[in-house]
Amino acid sequence: MKRLMLPHLALLTAACAVAQPSVEAPPPSRAPVPDAALRREAYHRRVDEVLHWRASGAGRPDPATMDMAAIAIKLTLREDLDLCSARVIEMMKDPGTGPFWMFPTVCVAYVGRDLLTPGARAAIRNAWRTTRQLRGDTENHWAMYYTSLYLMAELYPNEPAETWYSGKSSEENLAEARDYLVHWIDLTTSRGQGEYNPTHYIGEYAIPMLFLATWAKDPTMKQRGHMMLDWLFAELAANTLDGVLRGPASRTDEGSVIERWNSLASYFSWLLFGNTPPIGGYGGWGLYFAPLAKNYELPEVIYRIATDRGGDFVQRDRARTRRFWRYSDELSPAVYKTNYLRRDYAVGSTQGIMNDAIQGHAWDVTWAEADPRGKHATMFSLHPMSSERAMQSQFVTYPEPMIKGVTFEGKPSYDSPDKVVGVSYYERVFQDLDTVIALYDLAPGVRFPHINGFFSKDLVNVTEDKSGWIFARGGNAYLAYRPLAPYHWMKYLHRNGGWAKAAEDLGGRLLVSPHLKNGTIVQAASVGEFKDFAAFQAAIRALPLEFKLEPVPIVKMRTLRGKEIAFTYGQAPKVDGKTIDYAKWKLFEGPYLNAEVGGHKLTITHGRLERTLDFNTLTITDRVRAN
Amino acid sequence: MRLRSLSLGLLAGAVSLAAAPAPDFIIIANINRNYVIGSKIVTLNGLYQRDAAGAWRHFGSNDTSLSAVAFDPRDHNVIYTAALNGLWRSLDGGQSWRMCNDWSLTEARDVAVDPNAPDTVYLAVTDGVAVSTDRAQTLVRRENGLPGRGKYTQAIEIDRTRAGRVLAGCETGIYLTEDAAQHWRRVFAATDTVNDLQQSPHDPRVWLAATQSAGALISRDGGVTWAAFPGVPAEHALYNITFDPANPQRLAIGSWAHGVLTSEDSGATWVARNAGLPGAHRVWRVGADAAGRLYASVFGETLYVSDDFGRTWQPDALAGSLVNQFLLLPKAAN
Repeated sequence: MKRLMLPHLALLTAACAVAQPSVEAPPPSRAPVPDAALRREAYHRRVDEVLHWRASGAGRPDPATMDMAAIAIKLTLREDLDLCSARVIEMMKDPGTGPFWMFPTVCVAYVGRDLLTPGARAAIRNAWRTTRQLRGDTENHWAMYYTSLYLMAELYPNEPAETWYSGKSSEENLAEARDYLVHWIDLTTSRGQGEYNPTHYIGEYAIPMLFLATWAKDPTMKQRGHMMLDWLFAELAANTLDGVLRGPASRTDEGSVIERWNSLASYFSWLLFGNTPPIGGYGGWGLYFAPLAKNYELPEVIYRIATDRGGDFVQRDRARTRRFWRYSDELSPAVYKTNYLRRDYAVGSTQGIMNDAIQGHAWDVTWAEADPRGKHATMFSLHPMSSERAMQSQFVTYPEPMIKGVTFEGKPSYDSPDKVVGVSYYERVFQDLDTVIALYDLAPGVRFPHINGFFSKDLVNVTEDKSGWIFARGGNAYLAYRPLAPYHWMKYLHRNGGWAKAAEDLGGRLLVSPHLKNGTIVQAASVGEFKDFAAFQAAIRALPLEFKLEPVPIVKMRTLRGKEIAFTYGQAPKVDGKTIDYAKWKLFEGPYLNAEVGGHKLTITHGRLERTLDFNTLTITDRVRAN
Repeated sequence: MRLRSLSLGLLAGAVSLAAAPAPDFIIIANINRNYVIGSKIVTLNGLYQRDAAGAWRHFGSNDTSLSAVAFDPRDHNVIYTAALNGLWRSLDGGQSWRMCNDWSLTEARDVAVDPNAPDTVYLAVTDGVAVSTDRAQTLVRRENGLPGRGKYTQAIEIDRTRAGRVLAGCETGIYLTEDAAQHWRRVFAATDTVNDLQQSPHDPRVWLAATQSAGALISRDGGVTWAAFPGVPAEHALYNITFDPANPQRLAIGSWAHGVLTSEDSGATWVARNAGLPGAHRVWRVGADAAGRLYASVFGETLYVSDDFGRTWQPDALAGSLVNQFLLLPKAAN
C-alpha cells in the first residue's frame, strides 16, 4: 500500500498566513550548543515556530483550512476553541479509514479532551464506533494503528464491544494493541528495524512513540514510548551528516534519494539537533509531533552524536527486510548496514538485499554541502528492477496487476527503466570504509536489462578517464566511479517523489550500462587528502584492480585505504584475505551505538557520556564515564 | 476464487441445484480506485446481492479490502469475511461486525465454513491457515503438515461430503486435510501459488484448480490426484475457475492474460471468449449464477455478463469494480 500524502504541502503552505522562518532562512549554524539550557530554549523556539506557523490563519475565514494538525495545534495554543470543536464535528461526519486518519484523530482527542465541547468529543468517539479502520500492511501502518487504538481504548475504558468499529470491548482493544506494540518493540530491539533509516517514515514511528510517551496511562507503555523515541533518534543522529540522513534506506523516494536533505528526517534533525533547515511545511506529518514535542527532551548524548563528531567513524548495524509472504526462505531476512561518515562525505550501503519491493535504496556516496537545499549531493548505481515476482513476494497480489497498479495509479516511476529508486534481486554490494563495490548478475530476460548510475548536476569536473575510471568532485569530496561494462549517457528525468506524472529535467545524468554482467566501483576521498584533483586521479589509477564479468562478476582490488578486497557475486567478500562473516555482526556496532543481537539493550555513547536503554528492565541509565 | 455452492442437507453424492430453491447470488465488489490507506472511502465496497429486479444491492460494512465471504449455512445472518485486517464476523446480517483475529493474522485471502460442522471456520492467510471451532470467537493456527515456508494460502475449500475434509491452495501446491486441519499433506506440488479451488456442484468427487504457473487442474477423486487440462495455457497466471451450476459440461476460467476461457465439454477443449469485453482482457474473476449466466469482472472496467456462456458480453453495473468472489448461496436451513 502506498503512503498517504498530506494535502499538498504547497497548498498547506498557501493556507498559512505567516512565513516559515527556518525554511526560508540561511542554513543554521552546525556548531554544537554546549549549554543545555540554551539548547532547550532553542528547541522550544523551533517547536513554537512550527506551532505558530500552522495556527496562523488556519480556519479563518474558511474553516475548511483547518485540518486535524491545525486543530491539534490550535488546541495546544488554546486558540479558537469553539472553531476547533465545530470543525471536529464537521470532519467526523466523514471519517477516514486507517492509521493515517487514526493518529491525527487521537492527537486531537487527547489534546482536546478538556478543551473540545462534549459534542466534538462525542463526534470523535462515535466515528470510532461507526467507521471500520483498516490496519494497513506495513510496519509503520501498524505502529500508528495500534498506538492509536491503544490510546483510544485507554481514553474510553470499560466500553462494550458494540461501541467500537472492531467489535471488541475497550479491554480487548487495549490488550491486542498493547500486545502488538510490545511485540514490535521486542522485535526491533532484538533484530532491528524493518523500516530502517527511513527518509519519511521516521515520522510514522516517532509520532506514535511520542503519543505513547506522553499519554499512555500504563507506565510501562509510557516508558517504552520514551525509550523508543531515544532509540529512533539515536539511529537518526548516528546516520546523519550535518543533519542530513545518509546511506541506505529501507523505504524512500526519488526526491529524497537525489536530494538527500529533502525528507521528513531533515525536519526531525532540524527540530532536535538544529543543524539543518527543515523542509517546507515542516514536513506535513511533522506537524503532529510539534504539539507534544516539548514533552520530549533529547538526551545530550544523542545531540552530541548528531552535532559533535570527533572524527571519521563506521557504524555497522543489523535490520530486517519487509515481510516476504512468498518466494523467500525467510519471512524477514537480515539486512546488514554500513555507514561510514566523515566530515566531507558519507558512504553507506546494505549488502544488496531485496528489502522492499518498491522503495528500497541500497547504497550511495553523498557529500556535505554548506546549504543542502536543492543539492543533488549523491552518487550511486542500481539495477532498475521492475518485477512481478518481487511484488508478489511482499504483497497479496497476482503477477500482472500490481505493476500496472503501482505505475498507473500511484507511482509512475516504478516501471521506468530510468528510475533511481529501488533494489534488485540481482545486486550484491560490499563496502569497506569509502569504497563500494556493487556487482550485478542480471537474469536473461529480466525487464530492464541495464544498470543506471546517477551523476548529479552538482558534480564538477566530471572526467571520463582512459583508465576506465570516471572522476568527479562533489563538494569537498573527490569521487572515482568505475563502470565495469560499456555504457552510454542519458538525461535524468525526475518524477518528484516517484508520484509525479510528469518527468522533469533537473540537470542530472544517468550512466546507462546495458549489460547483464555488470558492476560499479566507487571510491571517495576528501579534497584535503590530496594535493589536487590530478593527484587523486593518479592515486586511483595506481591501485591494482582486476575484474572479470564471466561467468559471474568478480573484483579484486586495492582500495585507497590500502585494503585488498576480493568480491565475487554471490559469495562472501574478503578483505585482506579474511572472509566477511555477516552472521557475527552485532545489532549495532560503532563508536556511538552498540547492541547485541537479541539483547534488547542499546548503549549510546559520546565521549564520556553514556545512556543505556534496557528494554529487558525498561530502564534508562545515564552515566558519565571515567576518562 | 470462487463460485462456492453450499448445500446443507444434500451432503453426499450428486446435488441438483435445480431442485432446490433459487440460491442467492452474492459478490464481493471493491470499487476502490485511488484509495490509499487512511483516505476517505468515497465508493461503496464489499458485499452485494443481486435482487429480484437484477440490481446489485450493497449490504454489510463498506470495506475496500474484502477478498472472500462465507455464511453459516444454518443462519445467513452469520457472515464471515476475509479482509486486510483478517477475519470479520457478523451475527446480525452485516449490521455489526467483530474483527475476530489479533495482530498475528493478517491479510486474509479466503474463508470457508464447514457445512457439516458449521461452527468450524477456516481462514487462509498470507502465512498459513487458521481454524476456529466456535464460530470465529477464537482462532488458532493449524498448520501441521504445511511447510515452514511456502504456505502462503490463497484458497481454502471444504469438501461438502465430509466434515473436516478441506483443500488449501498454497504457494507450494495443494494441501489436503481430512481431520479438520490437524494434519495436512500435499497432494499436488506447485512452484507458484494455487489461486483457486472449486468443488463441482454436480459431482462432489470432481474438483478444479486454477494456478499461477501450472495451468488449470482437475481432480476426479476428491482432490487426491490432479491432472492438468491439456488445452489450458500455463505460461500465465489463471486467477479463478468456475463450474456452471446449470450445466456440468461447462467450465470457465478468468485470467489477466487470456481473458475468459471456457469449455463446454468438461474441459476437453477450451476456447477464449472475449468478444465484447474491453480490448485488454484483464479478467479478474469469472462466475456463473444459478441459471448459467456467466459474469466477468474486468480490471479497471466494470462487471460484464453473458447469456451465451461467453460468446457475447454486455456491460453490467458496478463500474470500476473488482469482483473478488461470486458466491451462490443456497437458502439457509431456517
